[in-house]
Amino acid sequence: MTHEEMRLQVDAYLDGELAPRDARELETHLKDCQECARMREARLVLGTAIRREVPEFRAPEELRARVRESLRSAAGVNPKPARAAVPSWRWMALAAGIALVAVGGWGLGAHRAADAALRDQVLASHVRSLMPGHLTDVVSSDQHTVKPWFNGKLDFSPPVNDFTGKGYPLIGGRLDYVGGRPVAALVYQRRQHLINVFLWPSTGGAVGERTSITRQGYHLLHSTTPEYVYWVVSDLGTAELSEFARLLQHAGSASSSP
Amino acid sequence: MERDQVGRFEAIVLPHLDAAYTLARYLTRNEDDAREVVQDAYLRALKYFDGFHGAEASEGRSWLMAIVRNTAFTRRRRHRLDATTTEFDEELHSDSIAESHPEAELLGAAARESLHQALDRLPLEFREVIVLRELEGMSYKEIGEVAGVPVGTVMSRLSRARHRLQQALWAEQKGG
Repeated sequence: MTHEEMRLQVDAYLDGELAPRDARELETHLKDCQECARMREARLVLGTAIRREVPEFRAPEELRARVRESLRSAAGVNPKPARAAVPSWRWMALAAGIALVAVGGWGLGAHRAADAALRDQVLASHVRSLMPGHLTDVVSSDQHTVKPWFNGKLDFSPPVNDFTGKGYPLIGGRLDYVGGRPVAALVYQRRQHLINVFLWPSTGGAVGERTSITRQGYHLLHSTTPEYVYWVVSDLGTAELSEFARLLQHAGSASSSP
Repeated sequence: MERDQVGRFEAIVLPHLDAAYTLARYLTRNEDDAREVVQDAYLRALKYFDGFHGAEASEGRSWLMAIVRNTAFTRRRRHRLDATTTEFDEELHSDSIAESHPEAELLGAAARESLHQALDRLPLEFREVIVLRELEGMSYKEIGEVAGVPVGTVMSRLSRARHRLQQALWAEQKGG
């Protein structure tokens, strides 16, 4: 395959446009081919940059009014505002506002000052990781490559799982710093979205605490198990992100070994 | 226009005004032209609505977006607007929907500008697939309907467009 064909395949894969069988084949290939794995990573970063930096526009009010006027005259209604048209336009303006609101998931928790500081650090690390070339130190969909990579770099051995079969392939890992300590950052993919997982051993705080926050278009999920503190960050929708968090926690507690 | 037709238009075509305007803005790279394109497109949409039998909002979107892009392409052929290269202008993009969050900005000002410039420099056919896919989240099939090309063409245009944008972005990051 030429480079161009490779790119075509990876793009179609990330867009969810490959047939399931081709997607599985490509996922297998991505496990073995560093070059393609790096390309996937670069494309995920690019996609995030485009979605965040290339804005959508809101139609000017004047245009809105003119289009409404055209519809009215096509409908043969006299210039007095059609009753139904006004609320529906208002509703549309609201819908177009694209407010990102945290819903359900891990429930809304109390934000103490320390948590808020930590949350900001996690968000900052997530954003930093999305700059080209910063996402991973080790690129691999293979948990048996990523997990040992952390040996000697951290004072704990993070649980690393690949969820390719569940639609959340592992992309790789990197060393990061949050809350004044080195932590494991694991990177996952959901279609064209990137997910960062930050984790470190829990220190006997409030176990089972779960919060879900939305900041600047990113969703942050936080939970504490007896073994680990987890922060999951992504621009993926909260429903899927919560599903992923559950997978992660389940796998983490099932395979936890110090 | 019949009453139920008006209702159908309101339900499946009207709600895509912002999407139509966004596409027109990126195709024309100009606020005034975008406004005119969208207005013309809606007039055409009203005129030909009887011949369109879609019932879903997503069908209405593809149908309207196809009219918008055809209006913009025709207009460009007529006016040769594309002959001049517009520099990315902060003012021009100031009415965007996204809120500004300086602390969560992904790219520095220089990188952002080079991304926008790279986008502006893309051939029209490439720019439109980026907007339809990345901003509107349309499927390849839907994009094919809008642009009037087979899915395979959508796929290769999109991949080549991304490759160019990525190169611009990486060059910027490495350069400084």
